[in-house]
Amino acid sequence: MPTSGCRLDENPGFFSRGGVDPRAKVFVTFAFLLVVTSFGKYEISRLTPLFLYPVSITAVSCVPVAKLLRRVLVALPFVLFVGLFNPLFDRQILFKAWGLSISGGWISFVSITFRSLLAVAAAVVLAMTTPFDRLCLGLEKMGVPRVLVTQLQFLYRYLSLLQEEAVRMVRAHALRARGNRPKIRVSSAASMIGFLLLRSLDRATRIYRSMLVRGFDGEVRLMKPLRFAWSRDGIFVAFWTLYFLTVRFVDVPGRLFGWVLGR
Amino acid sequence: MHMADALLSPAVGGTMLAVTAGLTAYSARKLKESPDESRIPLMGVLGAFIFAAQMINFSIPATGSSGHLGGGMILAILLGPYAAFLVLASVLVVQALFFADGGILALGCNIFNMAFFPCFVAYPFIYRKIVGDSPSRKKILLGAILSAVAGLQLGAFSVVLETVASGISELPFRTFLLLMQPIHLAIGIVEGIVTGAVVTFVWKARPEVLESAAQNTPLPGVSLRKVLAGLAVAAIFTGGALSWFASTYPDGLEWSMAKTAGTEELEAPAERVHTALAALQEKLAFLPDYGFRPSPAGKDSQPEVAAAGENEGKWPAVDPATTVSGLVGGALTLTLAGGLGILLRGAVSRRK
Amino acid sequence: MSHHFLEVRDLWVAYPDGTEALRGLSFRLEHGEAVGLVGANGAGKSTTLLALAGLVIPCRGSVNLGGTVLSKQTVGEIRRRIGFLFQDPDDQLFMPTVFDDVAFGPLNQGLTAEEVEERVRTALEQVGAGHLAERPAHRLSGGEKRSVAIATVLSMMPDVLIMDEPSASLDPRGRRLLIGLLKSFTHTRLVATHDLDLVLEVCPRTIVLSGGRVEADGETARIFQDRTLLERCGLEPPLCLQGMPR
Ligand SMILES: Nc1ncnc2c1ncn2[C@@H]1O[C@H](COP(=O)(O)OP(=O)(O)O)[C@@H](O)[C@H]1O
Ligand SMILES: [Mg+2]
Repeated sequence: MPTSGCRLDENPGFFSRGGVDPRAKVFVTFAFLLVVTSFGKYEISRLTPLFLYPVSITAVSCVPVAKLLRRVLVALPFVLFVGLFNPLFDRQILFKAWGLSISGGWISFVSITFRSLLAVAAAVVLAMTTPFDRLCLGLEKMGVPRVLVTQLQFLYRYLSLLQEEAVRMVRAHALRARGNRPKIRVSSAASMIGFLLLRSLDRATRIYRSMLVRGFDGEVRLMKPLRFAWSRDGIFVAFWTLYFLTVRFVDVPGRLFGWVLGR
Repeated sequence: MHMADALLSPAVGGTMLAVTAGLTAYSARKLKESPDESRIPLMGVLGAFIFAAQMINFSIPATGSSGHLGGGMILAILLGPYAAFLVLASVLVVQALFFADGGILALGCNIFNMAFFPCFVAYPFIYRKIVGDSPSRKKILLGAILSAVAGLQLGAFSVVLETVASGISELPFRTFLLLMQPIHLAIGIVEGIVTGAVVTFVWKARPEVLESAAQNTPLPGVSLRKVLAGLAVAAIFTGGALSWFASTYPDGLEWSMAKTAGTEELEAPAERVHTALAALQEKLAFLPDYGFRPSPAGKDSQPEVAAAGENEGKWPAVDPATTVSGLVGGALTLTLAGGLGILLRGAVSRRK
Repeated sequence: MSHHFLEVRDLWVAYPDGTEALRGLSFRLEHGEAVGLVGANGAGKSTTLLALAGLVIPCRGSVNLGGTVLSKQTVGEIRRRIGFLFQDPDDQLFMPTVFDDVAFGPLNQGLTAEEVEERVRTALEQVGAGHLAERPAHRLSGGEKRSVAIATVLSMMPDVLIMDEPSASLDPRGRRLLIGLLKSFTHTRLVATHDLDLVLEVCPRTIVLSGGRVEADGETARIFQDRTLLERCGLEPPLCLQGMPR
């Protein structure tokens, strides 16, 4: 998928610096995803209470809803494409209501759509409410090897810079070529990429030099101000874990429905 | 080739995460054995380079469509398998977090499919075998094409296996395979041609870059094979155990909960037959439990309809009444969640 | 503080591709001096600075900082005492946040957490960037990046500051701030640039490079009056000496 010009924004909001510990958020995200994926493929209604998680985090933090929705929708087409095979292969009629026969395939298709919305929303919420440097700190404290953490930090740091170089290159090519949306041939793409690569190698050399003159000896040291506050992060983890487990083992929408009918 | 969480089962996602974590730790340890400080900024910048290179969209000859570089093989050629694996892993993490390309739970699968095969299979056993220590234009191109094709074929095959094992998509194994492999053959050839051209470009402009890459990265020898064997055993074992678990106890999580809560005895299998029968009975009854008609009192146990249905096969997997009431309940729940969100946001903005 | 001169004697540097970038360079900086190193593109300014910090290996000649001769053994110590400001702040700010970047040097020096914090705060305040500490570097403006890059050098408390094109890609206001800052320092300073106006304001003395050699070395005002010398070295006299209204 082309990653055209996206900026990696993290929103300083309720959950940012001084907010919930990134480790707590990573844990809750994985717990959430495990619960989402653990439901059977025909499950729809019991997935719905899980929407409370992304919705409430979005509400409480300062994540702009439109931006979140855009990101979530970007991910949908591919999943829907694969999901659309389900109605094709699973035609067993599961129920008839009001003169409508619905096959298992369509039910699992809707279920896949819901799963996708939930999973992507959880990822976007994690990314948008956590400054990336804190997320990396958290990952390291959770046991991710140091090289990979440093790697993530460097990658994130130079991402937009190199992307801008690439955009400039594509624009320059467009100006030179004829036609208003000129296509890049494989051969010229290769030399553009090669050129970009050489520039990246130069950049790496210069960064290395600037690290050396500041005493770099092979280890990237960080001051680590991360502190897990039980009164805040512990409660965050406990609350959501409990909520996810409840939703997993109790049919909340079913009960809700029964309750509304006055049972 | 990015897999999403929506089509994944926790067993497959978890197994692949464990496998990938092992590979990451292994690569990190290997890099520590031959420390090279300049590699740290180099890896970082090359990770960013992959994103930048992917913004250059080129037209694919004779198809009318356009594509962009994957970049796995370029990294392996420039950095050697271990560093390249870590760089690709970081690229996939950032893609999952910020570009919604592949899910977070699916990270294990994605890193395995898109980083393991090019770095640990295609590069050492194909590219290096062909190019050797005396590169030439032809050898680089041939090596790049063959290794890119092999890496992508293996990756695509792995995607099919993981998806089918997850059981969320209904795509049959054969159909999915016939869809994936040819497409990725074409993608692999284009990827290989571009990779070969870029590597040749760099080799001509800065031969020392490729030479140092080749020198600094000892080919994985016996130890890699051992590790691979270990990983395979671990994966088969975990995967096998998890799927046995999943099939024996249709609802693994529930089962383990019940176990720890002590409500279910060890003779769980016998119990299961009972529950299955109960579920069946419930299905035959019109609108059980919380359906349109009040059910007999004391029937609090939730019928595991979906799971039971999968096992029995013949019976409809979903109970119509449950579905209708479930749908209304679901809609209601969604409205509630949305309303809560609006209330929360209101409260937060008032506080500011 | 010790009296630390910086002396370069007969320095020759060739790049792997055969380019002879420096061909017998010699000069000496005294304690606290501010010297401009000017010359056209490719004259060898950047190479000179790299050689001073031991980042390129000269094939001949010596670098002497306050009595310590640059060698494989002393390169660490010399780098500790030299603060190097690179041309592109994006090469110098590689850490996740401004704070981490400014703390990078002090942390490598093995200081305690409190000392590091103190250093970072002081350095950032000195360049007027205290409020940027928690920001990621890639979100800063050009001027802010430059200020923070200077802070990353100051936090190491160097004796000598060497700077490569510090005013490149700065807007007029950023450039003014930079000039004010450079003037306020008391370190020994070597500023490589082709911004002659900046040299005129900051450096009483100028060294002119051409083709990897010292073409002239002397009082800035006098050198900038010598139009034939400047033209020969591919330079233009500063705007304020061209009789332009400012
Ligand atoms: N990495 C390099 N490899 C080969 N030649 C180089 C390299 N860097 C600089 N040069 C050459 O060395 C000479 C001096 O360059 P430099 O010191 O960058 O000049 P300045 O900074 O004054 O513009 C130039 O001819 C330049 O082309
Ligand atoms: Mg220069």
